[in-house]
Amino acid sequence: MSRELWKGNEAIAEAAVRAGLQAYFGYPITPQTEALEYLSARLPELGRVFLQAESELGAINMVYGAACAGARTMTTTSSPGTSLMMEGLSYIAGTEVPMVLVDVVRGGPGLGNIAPAQGDYNQMVHGGGHGDYHPIVLAPASIQETIDTVYEMFDIADKYRTIGVVMVDGSIGQMMEPVTLPPMKEVRKIWPDWSASAAQGKRERNVLTSIYLDPKEEEITNLRLMKTWQQIEKNEVRYKEYFMDDAKFAVVGFGSAGRVALSAVRAARAEGIPVGLFRPISLNPFPRQKILEYTSKLSGFFVVEMNSGMMLDDVILASQSRIPVEYYGRMGGVMPFPDEILREIRLLHTNGWKTEGHPRDRWLAKLETIVKEEM
Amino acid sequence: MPLTGTIVVDENLCKACELCILNCPVQVIALDKSHITPRGFHPAALYKEGCTGCGTCAVVCPEAAITVYREKRPEKESKA
Repeated sequence: MSRELWKGNEAIAEAAVRAGLQAYFGYPITPQTEALEYLSARLPELGRVFLQAESELGAINMVYGAACAGARTMTTTSSPGTSLMMEGLSYIAGTEVPMVLVDVVRGGPGLGNIAPAQGDYNQMVHGGGHGDYHPIVLAPASIQETIDTVYEMFDIADKYRTIGVVMVDGSIGQMMEPVTLPPMKEVRKIWPDWSASAAQGKRERNVLTSIYLDPKEEEITNLRLMKTWQQIEKNEVRYKEYFMDDAKFAVVGFGSAGRVALSAVRAARAEGIPVGLFRPISLNPFPRQKILEYTSKLSGFFVVEMNSGMMLDDVILASQSRIPVEYYGRMGGVMPFPDEILREIRLLHTNGWKTEGHPRDRWLAKLETIVKEEM
Repeated sequence: MPLTGTIVVDENLCKACELCILNCPVQVIALDKSHITPRGFHPAALYKEGCTGCGTCAVVCPEAAITVYREKRPEKESKA
Protein backbone atom coordinates (compact mmCIF):
# COMPACT_ATOMS: atom_id res chain seq x y z
CA MET A 1 0.00 0.00 0.00
CA SER A 2 1.29 3.42 -0.94
CA ARG A 3 1.66 6.30 1.45
CA GLU A 4 -0.26 9.44 0.58
CA LEU A 5 -0.45 12.93 2.04
CA TRP A 6 -3.92 13.48 3.47
CA LYS A 7 -5.57 16.23 5.45
CA GLY A 8 -7.10 15.01 8.71
CA ASN A 9 -10.74 15.84 7.96
CA GLU A 10 -10.61 14.40 4.45
CA ALA A 11 -8.83 11.31 5.75
CA ILE A 12 -11.62 10.82 8.30
CA ALA A 13 -14.16 11.03 5.47
CA GLU A 14 -12.28 8.64 3.18
CA ALA A 15 -11.73 6.15 6.02
CA ALA A 16 -15.48 6.18 6.62
CA VAL A 17 -16.20 5.63 2.92
CA ARG A 18 -13.82 2.68 2.90
CA ALA A 19 -15.44 1.25 6.03
CA GLY A 20 -18.69 1.05 4.09
CA LEU A 21 -20.41 4.31 5.04
CA GLN A 22 -23.79 4.35 3.31
CA ALA A 23 -25.37 7.56 4.50
CA TYR A 24 -23.87 10.77 5.79
CA PHE A 25 -25.75 13.70 7.27
CA GLY A 26 -23.98 16.77 8.53
CA TYR A 27 -23.76 20.49 8.85
CA PRO A 28 -20.62 22.54 8.18
CA ILE A 29 -18.68 23.90 11.12
CA THR A 30 -15.00 24.83 11.32
CA PRO A 31 -12.69 22.96 11.96
CA GLN A 32 -14.61 19.97 10.59
CA THR A 33 -16.05 21.31 7.32
CA GLU A 34 -13.59 19.57 4.97
CA ALA A 35 -14.99 16.17 5.98
CA LEU A 36 -18.46 17.25 4.88
CA GLU A 37 -17.12 18.95 1.76
CA TYR A 38 -15.15 15.87 0.74
CA LEU A 39 -18.11 13.55 1.25
CA SER A 40 -20.44 15.85 -0.71
CA ALA A 41 -18.43 14.86 -3.80
CA ARG A 42 -17.37 11.37 -2.81
CA LEU A 43 -20.63 9.75 -1.71
CA PRO A 44 -22.78 10.70 -4.74
CA GLU A 45 -20.14 9.31 -7.15
CA LEU A 46 -20.44 5.98 -5.32
CA GLY A 47 -24.23 6.13 -5.35
CA ARG A 48 -24.47 6.55 -1.59
CA VAL A 49 -26.36 9.15 0.41
CA PHE A 50 -24.95 12.57 1.25
CA LEU A 51 -27.24 15.16 2.73
CA GLN A 52 -26.42 18.52 4.23
CA ALA A 53 -29.06 19.03 6.87
CA GLU A 54 -30.56 22.37 7.87
CA SER A 55 -28.84 22.22 11.23
CA GLU A 56 -27.00 19.83 13.54
CA LEU A 57 -30.36 18.92 15.08
CA GLY A 58 -31.60 17.83 11.67
CA ALA A 59 -28.38 15.98 10.91
CA ILE A 60 -28.36 13.84 14.06
CA ASN A 61 -32.03 12.92 13.70
CA MET A 62 -31.46 11.94 10.06
CA VAL A 63 -28.60 9.77 11.30
CA TYR A 64 -31.04 8.30 13.84
CA GLY A 65 -33.40 7.38 11.02
CA ALA A 66 -30.70 5.91 8.79
CA ALA A 67 -29.30 3.90 11.70
CA CYS A 68 -32.77 2.49 12.46
CA ALA A 69 -33.05 1.45 8.82
CA GLY A 70 -29.85 -0.52 9.31
CA ALA A 71 -27.49 1.62 7.23
CA ARG A 72 -23.90 2.37 8.16
CA THR A 73 -24.22 6.02 9.02
CA MET A 74 -22.22 8.81 10.54
CA THR A 75 -22.02 12.51 11.12
CA THR A 76 -19.14 14.83 11.82
CA THR A 77 -19.24 18.06 13.74
CA SER A 78 -17.33 20.33 16.09
CA SER A 79 -17.98 21.34 19.69
CA PRO A 80 -21.01 23.69 19.42
CA GLY A 81 -22.56 21.26 16.92
CA THR A 82 -22.05 18.37 19.32
CA SER A 83 -23.94 20.28 21.99
CA LEU A 84 -26.87 20.62 19.59
CA MET A 85 -26.74 16.91 18.82
CA MET A 86 -26.99 15.75 22.43
CA GLU A 87 -30.74 15.12 22.41
CA GLY A 88 -30.48 12.98 19.29
CA LEU A 89 -27.52 11.07 20.71
CA SER A 90 -29.49 10.19 23.81
CA TYR A 91 -32.38 8.95 21.65
CA ILE A 92 -29.98 6.88 19.54
CA ALA A 93 -28.47 5.37 22.68
CA GLY A 94 -31.95 4.61 24.04
CA THR A 95 -33.01 2.95 20.79
CA GLU A 96 -29.78 0.92 20.67
CA VAL A 97 -28.80 1.61 17.09
CA PRO A 98 -25.19 1.98 15.90
CA MET A 99 -23.75 5.22 14.58
CA VAL A 100 -20.41 6.97 14.40
CA LEU A 101 -19.86 10.57 15.43
CA VAL A 102 -16.62 12.39 14.76
CA ASP A 103 -16.15 15.39 17.01
CA VAL A 104 -13.38 17.74 15.90
CA VAL A 105 -13.07 19.75 19.09
CA ARG A 106 -12.51 23.50 19.13
CA GLY A 107 -12.09 26.12 21.85
CA GLY A 108 -15.03 26.86 24.12
CA PRO A 109 -17.37 27.32 25.94
CA GLY A 110 -19.99 29.03 23.83
CA LEU A 111 -19.10 29.95 20.30
CA GLY A 112 -15.50 29.95 21.49
CA ASN A 113 -12.98 29.91 18.69
CA ILE A 114 -11.80 27.56 15.96
CA ALA A 115 -8.47 26.62 17.54
CA PRO A 116 -7.75 23.06 18.73
CA ALA A 117 -8.86 22.18 22.27
CA GLN A 118 -10.03 19.19 24.31
CA GLY A 119 -12.83 20.85 26.21
CA ASP A 120 -15.45 18.36 24.99
CA TYR A 121 -14.04 15.63 27.21
CA ASN A 122 -16.77 15.84 29.85
CA GLN A 123 -19.51 16.32 27.27
CA MET A 124 -18.52 13.22 25.32
CA VAL A 125 -17.11 10.92 27.97
CA HIS A 126 -19.51 11.65 30.82
CA GLY A 127 -22.60 11.73 28.64
CA GLY A 128 -23.98 15.11 27.76
CA GLY A 129 -27.33 13.72 26.72
CA HIS A 130 -29.92 12.71 29.29
CA GLY A 131 -30.42 9.31 30.84
CA ASP A 132 -28.26 6.29 31.56
CA TYR A 133 -26.06 5.70 28.57
CA HIS A 134 -22.36 5.49 27.75
CA PRO A 135 -20.95 6.20 24.29
CA ILE A 136 -17.64 4.65 23.29
CA VAL A 137 -15.13 7.49 22.97
CA LEU A 138 -11.78 6.99 21.26
CA ALA A 139 -9.21 9.77 20.97
CA PRO A 140 -6.48 9.16 18.38
CA ALA A 141 -3.36 11.34 18.23
CA SER A 142 -2.22 11.18 14.60
CA ILE A 143 -3.96 11.11 11.24
CA GLN A 144 -2.99 7.49 10.63
CA GLU A 145 -4.41 6.54 14.00
CA THR A 146 -7.53 8.58 13.26
CA ILE A 147 -8.07 6.72 9.99
CA ASP A 148 -7.65 3.34 11.68
CA THR A 149 -9.95 4.38 14.52
CA VAL A 150 -12.74 5.65 12.26
CA TYR A 151 -12.41 2.56 10.05
CA GLU A 152 -12.71 0.24 13.02
CA MET A 153 -15.30 2.31 14.87
CA PHE A 154 -18.07 1.30 12.45
CA ASP A 155 -17.52 -2.35 13.33
CA ILE A 156 -17.34 -1.63 17.06
CA ALA A 157 -20.54 0.44 16.94
CA ASP A 158 -22.27 -2.34 14.99
CA LYS A 159 -21.07 -5.02 17.37
CA TYR A 160 -22.53 -3.36 20.47
CA ARG A 161 -25.28 -1.37 18.72
CA THR A 162 -24.06 1.78 20.39
CA ILE A 163 -22.71 5.25 19.69
CA GLY A 164 -19.07 5.35 18.65
CA VAL A 165 -17.44 8.72 19.09
CA VAL A 166 -14.07 9.58 17.59
CA MET A 167 -12.88 12.70 19.40
CA VAL A 168 -10.02 14.59 17.80
CA ASP A 169 -9.05 18.20 18.18
CA GLY A 170 -8.93 20.86 15.50
CA SER A 171 -5.23 20.42 14.84
CA ILE A 172 -5.69 16.78 13.77
CA GLY A 173 -8.60 17.80 11.57
CA GLN A 174 -6.60 20.52 9.87
CA MET A 175 -3.08 19.17 9.50
CA MET A 176 -1.70 16.93 6.79
CA GLU A 177 0.35 13.79 7.32
CA PRO A 178 1.53 10.85 5.22
CA VAL A 179 -0.85 7.94 5.74
CA THR A 180 -1.72 4.52 4.39
CA LEU A 181 -5.40 4.16 3.62
CA PRO A 182 -7.21 0.92 4.48
CA PRO A 183 -8.76 -1.31 1.77
CA MET A 184 -12.23 -0.54 0.44
CA LYS A 185 -15.05 -2.58 1.97
CA GLU A 186 -18.19 -3.30 0.01
CA VAL A 187 -21.34 -1.69 1.33
CA ARG A 188 -23.80 -3.72 3.31
CA LYS A 189 -26.27 -5.55 1.09
CA ILE A 190 -28.20 -7.46 3.76
CA TRP A 191 -29.80 -5.31 6.42
CA PRO A 192 -29.22 -6.34 10.06
CA ASP A 193 -32.02 -8.49 11.49
CA TRP A 194 -32.89 -5.91 14.17
CA SER A 195 -33.34 -3.06 11.69
CA ALA A 196 -36.60 -1.49 10.57
CA SER A 197 -36.01 -2.46 6.95
CA ALA A 198 -39.23 -3.64 5.38
CA ALA A 199 -40.18 -7.01 6.85
CA GLN A 200 -42.83 -7.39 4.13
CA GLY A 201 -44.47 -10.17 6.07
CA LYS A 202 -41.41 -12.38 5.81
CA ARG A 203 -40.53 -12.00 9.47
CA GLU A 204 -41.78 -10.47 12.68
CA ARG A 205 -41.91 -6.69 12.60
CA ASN A 206 -39.09 -4.89 14.40
CA VAL A 207 -40.04 -2.00 16.62
CA LEU A 208 -37.24 0.44 17.35
CA THR A 209 -38.06 3.01 19.98
CA SER A 210 -36.63 4.77 22.99
CA ILE A 211 -39.94 5.21 24.81
CA TYR A 212 -40.83 2.77 27.57
CA LEU A 213 -43.72 4.23 29.54
CA ASP A 214 -43.69 1.46 32.10
CA PRO A 215 -40.77 2.23 34.44
CA LYS A 216 -40.14 -1.48 34.91
CA GLU A 217 -39.79 -1.94 31.17
CA GLU A 218 -37.42 1.05 31.01
CA GLU A 219 -35.37 -0.46 33.80
CA ILE A 220 -35.01 -3.68 31.82
CA THR A 221 -33.76 -1.60 28.88
CA ASN A 222 -31.34 0.26 31.12
CA LEU A 223 -30.12 -3.04 32.50
CA ARG A 224 -29.51 -4.31 28.97
CA LEU A 225 -27.62 -1.11 28.09
CA MET A 226 -25.46 -1.43 31.18
CA LYS A 227 -24.74 -5.10 30.47
CA THR A 228 -23.53 -4.10 27.00
CA TRP A 229 -21.46 -1.39 28.61
CA GLN A 230 -19.86 -3.96 30.92
CA GLN A 231 -18.85 -5.94 27.85
CA ILE A 232 -17.43 -2.81 26.22
CA GLU A 233 -15.46 -1.99 29.39
CA LYS A 234 -14.03 -5.48 29.28
CA ASN A 235 -13.13 -5.60 25.58
CA GLU A 236 -12.53 -2.13 24.21
CA VAL A 237 -9.94 -0.51 26.48
CA ARG A 238 -7.09 0.92 24.42
CA TYR A 239 -3.98 2.87 25.37
CA LYS A 240 -0.39 3.36 24.31
CA GLU A 241 2.69 3.40 26.49
CA TYR A 242 5.99 5.11 25.77
CA PHE A 243 9.14 4.61 27.90
CA MET A 244 6.98 3.06 30.64
CA ASP A 245 9.15 0.00 31.34
CA ASP A 246 11.62 1.77 33.62
CA ALA A 247 9.70 4.99 34.29
CA LYS A 248 9.63 6.39 37.83
CA PHE A 249 6.69 8.66 37.05
CA ALA A 250 4.34 9.03 34.10
CA VAL A 251 2.89 11.79 31.99
CA VAL A 252 -0.76 11.05 31.14
CA GLY A 253 -2.26 12.78 28.13
CA PHE A 254 -4.60 11.93 25.25
CA GLY A 255 -4.85 13.06 21.66
CA SER A 256 -2.72 16.00 20.59
CA ALA A 257 -1.79 16.83 24.19
CA GLY A 258 -0.39 13.31 24.50
CA ARG A 259 1.56 13.82 21.31
CA VAL A 260 3.03 17.13 22.50
CA ALA A 261 3.84 15.44 25.80
CA LEU A 262 5.69 12.70 23.93
CA SER A 263 8.12 15.28 22.56
CA ALA A 264 8.67 16.57 26.09
CA VAL A 265 9.13 13.03 27.45
CA ARG A 266 11.71 12.25 24.76
CA ALA A 267 13.61 15.44 25.64
CA ALA A 268 13.42 14.58 29.34
CA ARG A 269 14.71 11.09 28.66
CA ALA A 270 17.66 12.61 26.82
CA GLU A 271 18.40 14.53 30.02
CA GLY A 272 18.24 11.31 32.00
CA ILE A 273 14.89 11.96 33.75
CA PRO A 274 13.12 8.59 34.20
CA VAL A 275 9.70 9.61 32.89
CA GLY A 276 7.25 7.73 30.68
CA LEU A 277 4.10 8.57 28.78
CA PHE A 278 0.76 6.85 29.20
CA ARG A 279 -1.64 7.82 26.42
CA PRO A 280 -5.23 6.58 26.81
CA ILE A 281 -6.87 6.09 23.41
CA SER A 282 -10.19 4.88 24.76
CA LEU A 283 -11.42 7.70 26.99
CA ASN A 284 -14.64 5.82 27.53
CA PRO A 285 -14.08 3.05 28.69
CA PHE A 286 -11.20 4.70 30.54
CA PRO A 287 -8.16 2.44 31.20
CA ARG A 288 -8.88 2.50 34.95
CA GLN A 289 -7.37 -0.87 35.70
CA LYS A 290 -4.05 0.04 34.08
CA ILE A 291 -3.85 3.36 35.95
CA LEU A 292 -4.53 1.54 39.22
CA GLU A 293 -1.82 -1.02 38.44
CA TYR A 294 0.69 1.75 37.83
CA THR A 295 0.07 3.30 41.25
CA SER A 296 2.16 0.52 42.83
CA LYS A 297 5.05 1.15 40.42
CA LEU A 298 5.19 4.91 40.02
CA SER A 299 5.77 7.87 42.30
CA GLY A 300 3.17 10.06 40.60
CA PHE A 301 1.06 10.95 37.57
CA PHE A 302 1.52 14.18 35.65
CA VAL A 303 -1.61 14.85 33.60
CA VAL A 304 -1.37 17.08 30.53
CA GLU A 305 -4.46 18.24 28.65
CA MET A 306 -5.81 21.05 26.53
CA ASN A 307 -8.67 21.85 28.89
CA SER A 308 -9.18 22.66 32.56
CA GLY A 309 -8.29 19.17 33.77
CA MET A 310 -11.30 17.06 32.79
CA MET A 311 -9.40 13.79 32.44
CA LEU A 312 -7.44 14.80 35.54
CA ASP A 313 -10.55 13.99 37.59
CA ASP A 314 -10.75 10.54 36.01
CA VAL A 315 -7.06 9.88 36.65
CA ILE A 316 -7.45 10.86 40.31
CA LEU A 317 -10.50 8.58 40.57
CA ALA A 318 -8.80 5.68 38.82
CA SER A 319 -5.60 6.01 40.87
CA GLN A 320 -7.77 6.08 44.02
CA SER A 321 -5.45 8.84 45.28
CA ARG A 322 -2.78 6.27 46.08
CA ILE A 323 -0.04 8.40 44.50
CA PRO A 324 0.18 12.17 43.99
CA VAL A 325 -1.16 13.71 40.78
CA GLU A 326 0.03 16.94 39.21
CA TYR A 327 -1.60 18.83 36.35
CA TYR A 328 -0.62 21.16 33.53
CA GLY A 329 -2.76 22.29 30.63
CA ARG A 330 -3.77 25.17 28.44
CA MET A 331 -7.34 26.19 27.67
CA GLY A 332 -9.41 27.99 25.10
CA GLY A 333 -7.56 26.80 22.02
CA VAL A 334 -3.98 27.38 23.19
CA MET A 335 -1.74 24.37 22.61
CA PRO A 336 0.99 23.74 25.17
CA PHE A 337 4.54 23.68 23.81
CA PRO A 338 6.79 20.70 24.55
CA ASP A 339 9.10 23.15 26.40
CA GLU A 340 6.34 24.05 28.84
CA ILE A 341 5.70 20.40 29.64
CA LEU A 342 9.44 19.67 29.83
CA ARG A 343 9.81 22.53 32.34
CA GLU A 344 7.11 20.98 34.53
CA ILE A 345 8.70 17.51 34.21
CA ARG A 346 12.06 18.97 35.33
CA LEU A 347 10.40 20.68 38.31
CA LEU A 348 8.72 17.43 39.35
CA HIS A 349 12.02 15.58 38.99
CA THR A 350 14.02 18.03 41.11
CA ASN A 351 11.43 19.36 43.59
CA GLY A 352 9.35 16.23 44.07
CA TRP A 353 5.57 15.92 44.41
CA LYS A 354 3.19 18.17 46.31
CA THR A 355 0.13 16.74 47.99
CA GLU A 356 -1.60 19.66 49.70
CA GLY A 357 -4.67 21.02 47.91
CA HIS A 358 -6.06 20.00 44.54
CA PRO A 359 -3.72 19.73 41.52
CA ARG A 360 -6.05 22.03 39.59
CA ASP A 361 -5.63 24.83 42.16
CA ARG A 362 -1.84 24.58 42.02
CA TRP A 363 -1.97 24.67 38.22
CA LEU A 364 -4.37 27.63 38.06
CA ALA A 365 -2.11 29.70 40.32
CA LYS A 366 0.81 28.91 38.01
CA LEU A 367 -1.13 29.49 34.78
CA GLU A 368 -2.19 32.99 35.78
CA THR A 369 1.40 34.25 35.77
CA ILE A 370 2.23 32.32 32.58
CA VAL A 371 -0.71 33.85 30.72
CA LYS A 372 0.22 37.35 31.95
CA GLU A 373 3.82 36.88 30.81
CA GLU A 374 2.74 35.71 27.37
CA MET A 375 0.37 38.62 26.77
CA MET B 1 -5.58 -13.72 -38.64
CA PRO B 2 -7.51 -11.09 -36.66
CA LEU B 3 -5.68 -8.54 -34.56
CA THR B 4 -5.51 -9.37 -30.85
CA GLY B 5 -4.95 -7.05 -27.98
CA THR B 6 -5.63 -6.62 -24.29
CA ILE B 7 -6.18 -3.74 -21.88
CA VAL B 8 -4.90 -3.04 -18.37
CA VAL B 9 -7.04 -0.74 -16.21
CA ASP B 10 -5.36 1.26 -13.44
CA GLU B 11 -7.64 0.61 -10.48
CA ASN B 12 -6.57 3.73 -8.66
CA LEU B 13 -7.80 5.85 -11.55
CA CYS B 14 -10.88 4.10 -12.98
CA LYS B 15 -14.13 5.75 -11.82
CA ALA B 16 -16.55 3.46 -13.64
CA CYS B 17 -17.84 6.17 -16.00
CA GLU B 18 -18.46 3.49 -18.66
CA LEU B 19 -17.22 5.67 -21.55
CA CYS B 20 -14.89 2.88 -22.69
CA ILE B 21 -17.80 0.44 -22.64
CA LEU B 22 -19.93 2.74 -24.79
CA ASN B 23 -17.14 3.38 -27.28
CA CYS B 24 -15.63 -0.08 -27.66
CA PRO B 25 -16.19 -1.02 -31.35
CA VAL B 26 -16.21 -4.75 -30.56
CA GLN B 27 -18.15 -4.48 -27.25
CA VAL B 28 -15.82 -6.55 -25.11
CA ILE B 29 -15.55 -4.28 -22.05
CA ALA B 30 -17.87 -4.35 -19.04
CA LEU B 31 -17.73 -3.36 -15.37
CA ASP B 32 -16.29 -6.11 -13.20
CA LYS B 33 -19.05 -6.44 -10.60
CA SER B 34 -17.14 -9.05 -8.63
CA HIS B 35 -14.37 -6.62 -7.78
CA ILE B 36 -14.14 -3.27 -6.01
CA THR B 37 -11.31 -0.76 -6.40
CA PRO B 38 -9.68 1.17 -3.53
CA ARG B 39 -11.78 4.15 -4.61
CA GLY B 40 -14.95 2.11 -4.30
CA PHE B 41 -15.93 1.41 -7.92
CA HIS B 42 -16.45 -1.68 -10.00
CA PRO B 43 -13.66 -1.19 -12.55
CA ALA B 44 -13.89 -1.61 -16.31
CA ALA B 45 -12.44 -4.90 -17.58
CA LEU B 46 -12.43 -7.18 -20.60
CA TYR B 47 -15.21 -9.70 -20.16
CA LYS B 48 -14.80 -11.73 -23.34
CA GLU B 49 -12.29 -12.36 -26.08
CA GLY B 50 -12.18 -10.26 -29.20
CA CYS B 51 -10.18 -7.17 -28.20
CA THR B 52 -8.40 -5.88 -31.28
CA GLY B 53 -6.13 -3.52 -29.40
CA CYS B 54 -7.54 -0.59 -31.38
CA GLY B 55 -6.96 1.83 -28.49
CA THR B 56 -10.33 3.62 -28.65
CA CYS B 57 -11.00 2.96 -24.97
CA ALA B 58 -7.66 4.49 -23.97
CA VAL B 59 -8.41 7.58 -26.04
CA VAL B 60 -11.88 8.18 -24.59
CA CYS B 61 -10.90 7.41 -20.99
CA PRO B 62 -11.09 10.76 -19.12
CA GLU B 63 -8.82 9.48 -16.36
CA ALA B 64 -6.22 7.95 -18.72
CA ALA B 65 -6.63 4.76 -16.73
CA ILE B 66 -6.41 2.32 -19.64
CA THR B 67 -3.23 0.96 -21.15
CA VAL B 68 -3.63 -1.00 -24.40
CA TYR B 69 -1.34 -3.85 -25.42
CA ARG B 70 -1.43 -5.01 -29.03
CA GLU B 71 0.02 -8.27 -30.24
CA LYS B 72 2.75 -7.88 -32.84
CA ARG B 73 1.76 -8.92 -36.36
CA PRO B 74 3.85 -11.75 -37.76
CA GLU B 75 6.52 -10.68 -40.24
CA LYS B 76 5.24 -10.46 -43.83
CA GLU B 77 5.69 -13.60 -45.93
CA SER B 78 7.20 -11.72 -48.88
CA LYS B 79 10.28 -11.05 -46.75
CA ALA B 80 11.08 -14.73 -46.41
